[in-house]
Amino acid sequence: MTYFILQILPYISIAVLVIGLLYRIGRWANGRIVHNITLTTPAPTTQTGAVVNIATEAVFFRSLFQADKALWSGAWIMHVALFSVLGGHVVGFGTLGLQFYYIGLTSAELSTYLSDLLGTSMGILVLLGLFYLLYRRMAINEVKQISAPSDYLHLILLIAIVTVGNTMRFVPEWGLHYEPVRDYVVQLLTFSAVTADMEVMHKPLFTIHLLLVQILAMILPFSKLLHIPGMFAHRWILTRPLVEPAPGLPGIPVGGSGHAASSGQSTSGGVQ
Amino acid sequence: MPLTETGLKQPVKASAADMLKIDINPVPDDRKVEEAIKHLNELGQKFRSLMITFESCTKCGACAENCHTYLGTRDPYNIPTNRADLMRKVYKRYFTPEGKFFPKFIGAKDLELEDLEKMYSYYYQCNECRRCALVCPFGLDTCEVTMAGRQLLHWLGMVPKLQASVGAAMKKTGNHTGIPKGGLVDTCEFLCEDIVDETGVDMKMPIDQNADILYIPSSADFMLNPNTMTGVAKFFHYLGANWTISSEIAEAGNFGLLFDQRHTLRANSMRIIDEALKYGCKKVVWGECGHGWRAGKMYLPGMLDRPGRIPIVHLHDEVRYYIEKGALKLNKDVVTRPVTLHDPCNFGRACNMSDTLRVVMNASVSNFVEMTPNRERNFCCGGGSAILFDDPEMYDLRIKFSAKKAEQVRETGVDKDGDGILCAPCSICKAQLYPMVKEHKLGVEVKGLIDLVGLALYPPINE
Repeated sequence: MTYFILQILPYISIAVLVIGLLYRIGRWANGRIVHNITLTTPAPTTQTGAVVNIATEAVFFRSLFQADKALWSGAWIMHVALFSVLGGHVVGFGTLGLQFYYIGLTSAELSTYLSDLLGTSMGILVLLGLFYLLYRRMAINEVKQISAPSDYLHLILLIAIVTVGNTMRFVPEWGLHYEPVRDYVVQLLTFSAVTADMEVMHKPLFTIHLLLVQILAMILPFSKLLHIPGMFAHRWILTRPLVEPAPGLPGIPVGGSGHAASSGQSTSGGVQ
Repeated sequence: MPLTETGLKQPVKASAADMLKIDINPVPDDRKVEEAIKHLNELGQKFRSLMITFESCTKCGACAENCHTYLGTRDPYNIPTNRADLMRKVYKRYFTPEGKFFPKFIGAKDLELEDLEKMYSYYYQCNECRRCALVCPFGLDTCEVTMAGRQLLHWLGMVPKLQASVGAAMKKTGNHTGIPKGGLVDTCEFLCEDIVDETGVDMKMPIDQNADILYIPSSADFMLNPNTMTGVAKFFHYLGANWTISSEIAEAGNFGLLFDQRHTLRANSMRIIDEALKYGCKKVVWGECGHGWRAGKMYLPGMLDRPGRIPIVHLHDEVRYYIEKGALKLNKDVVTRPVTLHDPCNFGRACNMSDTLRVVMNASVSNFVEMTPNRERNFCCGGGSAILFDDPEMYDLRIKFSAKKAEQVRETGVDKDGDGILCAPCSICKAQLYPMVKEHKLGVEVKGLIDLVGLALYPPINE
């Protein structure tokens, strides 16, 4: 079973994730932006403006911040911490915790210490955020009314993943150091066999953690977790730059002839 | 479960004969479900916005407290995402892998006739104001779902009598109120006499003449809001513009946007450029109508069946331009009563006009008080998307939808002395706010924005 989860399932789950996402996003791409439904708050006038708008939404959740501060606090903290944890996995395992040392900021010891500290605190923050979101889903009547069973289970799945991950941090004998994990990932990436003497094969919590993450990856393209690409895809529809038509009426002497484009503005304007 | 037991509120439906007048052959009940599934697939595949909205919502519920229909009724189906769920559940059941295999788990369900009745009830309780799109962390536009829902219901033959008869009047006469050309001419002459009495200035409202500018009035301005029509005439007269109204399209509104975004939306859009060509107009100027301007500005270019080369602009963008050019001498001391501005949803959230309205307002009146929230965060009047139904049950709902608006007006304090002005530059807002002001007992008079510009341009001589 451990062998299956560590050696075979990763290829399946990654394939499901990638093909599933391509299928869903491909379906969206097949649909058209039929009408100009730019949301004018106000609308940007250039492509750069549109990109800045979308980036602000993605990084700071601006709309949500303006609408609901409590939800924003929980959601933003959860997402930022989750993103840091994901980044931490890549960087931490990639550099064995020496990332700050490599960029010349700290000594090697301090770097691993900082790496541990950041990982642990972000792990706790994600958990706090997730618990708040779960509490909210059960406590606020409106949110409760609109929730399906899957809405709770997504949160519970994430909570389980993070809890197992945090436990490995807090109970060193159940967890692993960076090296064995890095070696395992290298084996996977080079399509080499994982051998029975590798440390990862003997850590049940690691196996559970990995199994749960793979389940999450496999359901992502078939669940509301599609909001990750969906946010960018839909923001783009709403945020496309809008150029106003040139003002000025034909046949009126004041302020130019009007019908001719004035001050470089297009006569008819429109969504770019 | 019979509908009477569920307490479902519905506007009166158009009869089969009414539907034929807007070119739809209603689908009999036993085939509705099958047809609806087919249409839902078409709509989902065609509209990217719709498909993403169906598939990306996380049910965070941020929209609930930001929807005035939910705030006014506390009906769970009026939570925007839950209203969208009426269709989303069905879409997921038939067109997504997760819904096909785990319907109960993800909250998907088979379509039944009763669901269509529910959709008919709740998609005609949505004002299509897009405040939910504004607050959604992903910008998912529930208005797109309502629009698709109404389209689907239209194809099945389920349209409120109000919408269907407006559609039929538009086809027949070129305006929503069904005024024939003779009526338009008479009304305009009458309004011009009014202007002479009021200001001592003689001006014309030309109809069906060759001109530089085609003005698209809201037909409600001829009957319900005459001061808006006279305000426009004063503005054009002041500038010495060569303008005309076409009796074939004396209508700024386009109900196609609201119940049929194919046939009706296109037919009404085509009238605009046809008439502009006919009278040799070089520019089309749109009147005070929220949804109509959204249709004219954002939808029309994509709906035409040939290139539309005549620029289309909004009246207030032009007024603003001439104010900023210093071409208008506005006596802002004429209106000293406290004025507050209701930003029509379509102007604020869909047409980039929040700044424009303020420039015009500040130049025309001396005591302007902002509402909170305002601009693109403003709440809808409760009549948005023309759910101006008169049957008692629906009327009661309309008044509930406007509870938030009444609260906002009260907070500005303009109604304290009973002489306030509630400015709403949109015909549907006006039609909704007249009864709303009465029912919520607000001491304000509802006016359009160009009304105030007209007063400031030509101060009344004998008051």
